[in-house]
Amino acid sequence: MVKISFHHRDGSLDVLNVDDGTSVMRAAVTSGIAGIVGECGGQAMCATCHIYVREEYLDVLPPVRHDEEEMLDCTTEPRDERRSRLACQLSAGRDFEAIEVDVPATQF
Amino acid sequence: MPIHENLTVDTPVADWLNPQELMTDPYPSYARLREAGDVVYAPALQSYLVPRYTALRETQLHPELFSVRSSDVNTMMERAFGGNRPMLRKDDPEHAVERQAINPTLRPRQIAQTWSPRFAQTVEHWIDHLLEVGPENADLNRDFAAPVASQNLIDLIGFPSEVHVDSLRRWSTDFIDGLSNVMSDPDIWARCDASRAEVNAVLDELIPHLRRHPDASITSHLLEVNLPEDVVRTNVMLTISGGMNEPQHMITNMVWALSTHPDQQRTVRAGEVSWGDAFEEVVRWVSPIGMAPREATADIEWFDAKIPQGATVGLLFASANRDDSVFPRADELDVTRNARGHLGFGTGVHQCAGRWAAKNAVGEVAVPRLYERIGSLMVDDSRQVSWQGWFFRGLTALPVTWD
Ligand code: HEM
Ligand code: FES
Repeated sequence: MVKISFHHRDGSLDVLNVDDGTSVMRAAVTSGIAGIVGECGGQAMCATCHIYVREEYLDVLPPVRHDEEEMLDCTTEPRDERRSRLACQLSAGRDFEAIEVDVPATQF
Repeated sequence: MPIHENLTVDTPVADWLNPQELMTDPYPSYARLREAGDVVYAPALQSYLVPRYTALRETQLHPELFSVRSSDVNTMMERAFGGNRPMLRKDDPEHAVERQAINPTLRPRQIAQTWSPRFAQTVEHWIDHLLEVGPENADLNRDFAAPVASQNLIDLIGFPSEVHVDSLRRWSTDFIDGLSNVMSDPDIWARCDASRAEVNAVLDELIPHLRRHPDASITSHLLEVNLPEDVVRTNVMLTISGGMNEPQHMITNMVWALSTHPDQQRTVRAGEVSWGDAFEEVVRWVSPIGMAPREATADIEWFDAKIPQGATVGLLFASANRDDSVFPRADELDVTRNARGHLGFGTGVHQCAGRWAAKNAVGEVAVPRLYERIGSLMVDDSRQVSWQGWFFRGLTALPVTWD
């Protein structure tokens, strides 16, 4: 099991333990985590799964691919050049062993 | 989880639902369905309808329970498209291969860089035409929305410029009629077969050309991932069926909405609300696709209903978009609201592939340019405005005039 921590703007925290291969978006949406929408089902087509990855977890992550890069220009809350990612493109086990992310105030 | 095993439930039944009333104006029926429950059985349609927002979203999150491979719909789709089913009728992971092939040319950056300049050229041409027809006779549907939507789609699928806007329109209509040919009307199949032959003839020449000279088109992208050629052809036919009427209807819907709400028209034209936001609100308020079908893969207790395996489940996008618990005063048009999150493009892995193309072509190019060039454009109340349909809903005529 891989641990994913979602930090919300109001200071509250949700922690999930998920199976390998689950994307951060899928984990959030199936558990009803507030603030992550995932409209397009994980195809890097909607940018409503925007998250800010906490600094200490950035190093292990794979680089942003071309399609993710394009959609990161379409986030509602401003993109952070280092920390912004699409949660649907990050997969537990494959891309990280544990991760903590900040959830934006809005996705629309 | 809303799956309640071992719980006996009584499925609400809408025995009052009348398909004829849906055709004229579905919204009063949608309101009654939303009052009735999250899942409502409609005997007249032999379907379980999902009229509220939250339940609809939840249903789309579970493709393993609600599959797009519904047998009835597929039989007709395979018949219409000549033996194959397109991505819209496949579940993941099969669907993803075909869908991911076309996504790269349909994201907002490609739309802005590659497609938007072409959309803009087409719009200039057809505004000239509209002006020639003149303020006494112009029909925005016939003289502008239909040819613009058709030309944009010809470009998106990479068909050559010799293909006439009226041909693509006819193909689209014939395919759509075939897809809904429940009574197996032989005349409809004949039209559908003839149009399929014409589309295949264009593809016979285009495909070898695109293999040598790949371009930004949807057809070229389908070829690049080495899909079997019949799969490419079927998905081009899907795009012809699904990429024409909805943008066409959205052009007329927007002009009709802004004409009947002059204050909101002023707000948008003054730049206080973006054209893109106004577009999203109109998609929410009068959604071109009212419903999409799914099939239950098992006996399942879902919200307040019991759905048997194999049953048809109707996702009522247009109704969910009028759900007051998500969009306050949902029956009213309000361009200042944030309508994003509406279900007019569906949601989940089958969410519309053309959503960014349509938003740009219609919301950011065609409609704003119409008002720039014809400042006093308005609906002509002396002639008849007509709406039709609920599965697909739009204006069949929108007489317009100007000073
Ligand atoms: C405002 C205009 C449009 C609206 C309202 C609209 C609506 C929709 C909806 C609701 C779906 C999902 C159907 C379902 O879940 O069963 C869909 C799918 C689709 N649309 Fe659109 N559409 C529009 C424009 C376009 C355009 C211009 C294209 C062509 C590029 C297009 C291509 C597609 C395709 C290929 C799919 C299937 C996607 C898949 O199965 O993954 N649409 N559309
Ligand atoms: S879910 Fe749509 S971009 Fe991630």
